[in-house]
Amino acid sequence: MKDEHNPGTAHLDLDTPEAQLRLTQQERARRDETFLDANELVLNMGPQHPSTHGVLRVILKLDGEKVLGTECVIGYLHRGVEKIAEHRTYTMFNPYVDRMDYVAAVSNGLGYCEAVEKILNVEAPPRAQYIRVILAELNRLASHMLWLGTHALDIGAITPLFYTFRDREEILKIFEKYCGARLTTHAFRIGGCLYETYDGFEEDVRKFSKFVAPKIDEYETLLTTNRIWVERTKGVGFISAKDAIDLGVTGPVLRASGVKWDLRKAQPYAAYKDFDFEIPIGSNGDTYDRYLVRIAEMRQSLRIIQQAVDGLPEGPIMAKIPKVIKPAVGEIYHSIEAPKGELGYFIVSDGSTQPYRVRVRPPSFVNLQALDKMVRGALVADVVAVIGTIDIVLGEVDR
Amino acid sequence: MTARELIRKVLLVDLIKGLSVTFRYQDPREVYTEQYPLERPQVAERYRGAPRLNVNPETNETLCIACDLCALACPEHLIVVSSERNATTRRKELTTFTYDLSRCMFCGLCEDACPTDALELTQDFELANYTREGAIWDRQTLERGPQPTVYKG
Amino acid sequence: MQSFLDYLKSSGTPGQYGDPMWGAVWALIYILLIFTGISVAVIAMNWLERKILAHMQVRLGPMRVGPHGLLQPIADALKLLIKEDIVPDEADRVVFWLAPVAVVIAAFTVFIVVPFGPTHAVTDMNIGLLFMLGVSSLGVLGIIMAGWASNSHYPLMGALRSSAQMVSYEIAMGMAVVSAVLMTSLSSGTGTLSMIGIVRAQAEQGVWFIFKFFPLGLLAFFIFAVAMVAETNRAPFDLPEAESELVAGFHTEYSGFRWSLFFLAEYAAMIAVSSIAVTLWLGGWMRPFASWHGPKITMPGYWEHPELGAVDFAFSLAPAATFLLLAGLSFLGTVRMPRHPMFKIQKAGLAGFSLALAGIGVLLLVPPVRDTIQDIYWFVFKVAIFMYLYIWYRGTFPRYRFDQLMKLGWKVMIPLGIGVLIVTALLGVML
Repeated sequence: MKDEHNPGTAHLDLDTPEAQLRLTQQERARRDETFLDANELVLNMGPQHPSTHGVLRVILKLDGEKVLGTECVIGYLHRGVEKIAEHRTYTMFNPYVDRMDYVAAVSNGLGYCEAVEKILNVEAPPRAQYIRVILAELNRLASHMLWLGTHALDIGAITPLFYTFRDREEILKIFEKYCGARLTTHAFRIGGCLYETYDGFEEDVRKFSKFVAPKIDEYETLLTTNRIWVERTKGVGFISAKDAIDLGVTGPVLRASGVKWDLRKAQPYAAYKDFDFEIPIGSNGDTYDRYLVRIAEMRQSLRIIQQAVDGLPEGPIMAKIPKVIKPAVGEIYHSIEAPKGELGYFIVSDGSTQPYRVRVRPPSFVNLQALDKMVRGALVADVVAVIGTIDIVLGEVDR
Repeated sequence: MTARELIRKVLLVDLIKGLSVTFRYQDPREVYTEQYPLERPQVAERYRGAPRLNVNPETNETLCIACDLCALACPEHLIVVSSERNATTRRKELTTFTYDLSRCMFCGLCEDACPTDALELTQDFELANYTREGAIWDRQTLERGPQPTVYKG
Repeated sequence: MQSFLDYLKSSGTPGQYGDPMWGAVWALIYILLIFTGISVAVIAMNWLERKILAHMQVRLGPMRVGPHGLLQPIADALKLLIKEDIVPDEADRVVFWLAPVAVVIAAFTVFIVVPFGPTHAVTDMNIGLLFMLGVSSLGVLGIIMAGWASNSHYPLMGALRSSAQMVSYEIAMGMAVVSAVLMTSLSSGTGTLSMIGIVRAQAEQGVWFIFKFFPLGLLAFFIFAVAMVAETNRAPFDLPEAESELVAGFHTEYSGFRWSLFFLAEYAAMIAVSSIAVTLWLGGWMRPFASWHGPKITMPGYWEHPELGAVDFAFSLAPAATFLLLAGLSFLGTVRMPRHPMFKIQKAGLAGFSLALAGIGVLLLVPPVRDTIQDIYWFVFKVAIFMYLYIWYRGTFPRYRFDQLMKLGWKVMIPLGIGVLIVTALLGVML
């Protein structure tokens, strides 16, 4: 659509909400539109907003309260992590990876270390793999707890946030005792783990699993059957299985739409083939199902943790890797099942100590594309709920 | 809907169950807050906090052999180690050691690289400073440790 | 002078009193007392909300400003007073100024008919209830003015939503209220809209209307309870002021003192609708089990009788007991404070506070004071329970989406209200 009377807007395609936002007040007045007359209102849920998780800008085109279309503007948290990778050695780049999905730092590290191990053709010893699984599943619990708290907060229940954060503290204490940091853990090294489990690690993990199981039941009491919660989340943000697969959505969002795809079962990595656990699947791909899937995943994570701690083998924790890591020329792609979806690393090596290119496939970035499909026809209040249910972390989306 | 579900819906059972959870947590013993200046958190032994250059407790000599491995390991290249060769023992001796705390991400690679356990990341996390220059620590600060101002009351 | 002494012996409220001058003076004194009382109540509500909500969320709430944060509301009030007064550039200045004023006036004017006791009201209009419902609706006007005058999308949307919500739930409120009014006619033959008359009707029938025609009274009370939470824009119906949706709804552009006026009006409106609920269904100023009198008590004016029954006596100690309990709790807080020099002043302050509370408690044991305070105490106690419920709901429930809120109001509450009304009327006629 072009506006002949307004030569100043000749270069704009006035159909996109972004373009409409750029019209000055004069141009809009010349088109005889005040924001009340227009059938469509362009609303900017700007980067600073109490509920978009991080600095996400969503431009909504509304008809009254109904959403006609959205456009996400990202990049406010872009830090050039992939560019940094080109100027660091493989070992040096390890700490930077934690900073992408800062909520679940351990899985970022796991994915990267496994990708480099793949390109080096080494395998971490079994004890290291078990430790990696334990920490990765604890990390999944922590990420889902944070998700639950913030999602409930967006929908208006302000207390579950504090309960989940309190329980998450216990996980972060275990991380702190193991590797020395709570948030940006840098827990693993290329070839295995650097840190041996501390004295009392297994006790702590067992005590924690016993502690947290009734807490998950408590979160369910507060939310799952609560009629207000059900009304707010059932039928909201629907995405069909076909659309989910077409858009490349992975993780709990995909599984809630009914697709049984989890990389821990489909392409097992670390020590996952040794454990017996289920993949929770949803039936309707709406927000309520995504909530149920994540709660079930939390319980399955506890199951895996208990099996791993019981079966922790003895042995070395670091494989034999050269002091200076110089992989052969080539490229690999390795992905793991991060709490938010498929986290992939595509590493291109040119034979030197620094990678030629590290491309990260962040799950939140790809899942965010589903936002538009999910909120068409929904109300403004649902947009907030849907952004919450996709579980995005802007650090990952923008890198 | 079954009769049981209908009764639960009419009598607001789900809402009352939620109310009872929040009611139960009002017990003052459930409070999880640590009131910071009085109760400081107990951090773990492996905590990656403020760096410190260890000295030999008996001889008061630095354990650092100026091998520069920490500077090479650091992703941010913020450690500068300078040394001079001692004419008699033909060994390198440390002169200055500069650590830029403002760019440090506390990854621990320097601590891992040090062969003599001279550079260690301690449990100190109170690292606030009034100036940017104050975050660049020289050898003395690293050996002595940060000495924060203690405010009374 | 004679008319003053006559007044002291009369049993009417100032507004009913014959002599215009003394009536006006007493009415003014009562108005000042109520205004101060409500303001103090709002300040206390602020502190209570933050502390109770915090404890429900396993944290502590304000602890630093005064001992256990007791001076926090005062600090907040001071801060809001000295803040810069920002008026948006394109805002309509007159309406912008007028909106908070309108809301506050609507919220505070209703208190002239709220009965704290059989004669403790500024006036007892014979259409008191209608007056309360009508004047509290004027608050909606103030909200629309606020949204419009701010000249910005968010406040306008918030204001329109808020007003639509309030208007819808007023209908449900009206239905519930009318069923209670119908019940007043069962003892005397004629119903009454006067607030004091409604409580007297409950006293005469010997039962609180919440228990009358069980479960009808309970159902009417429930409808009113839900409608009252929606009316005051509190959780779970607080979409218009939800932080995660529209920044802050209709009061986005207000800062400093103007915002605090909205906030004051919100709490005052909460107290006002709770007073309606207490008066209509929970027996107003009557103590629990008021029909269990001692042997020589007759109605009305039972406190004037010198010989009290045992049950009456036990209940009459409740005010003193409450204050002594509060004094004990704050003394416990003093004792448990950390022994650090930093806390000396706070400890002294809290100890002084507990002493003051204990003093009041002891004062309330003295018979003349005890007798006059009874009605006011029970009324305030019941309203306080409602305030606690408000805070409890806020801490537990998620928020309803706007269309679900409206559906609840129009498709569930109103039909239920009409049903309760019809059944109450039928039962009233038949029995």
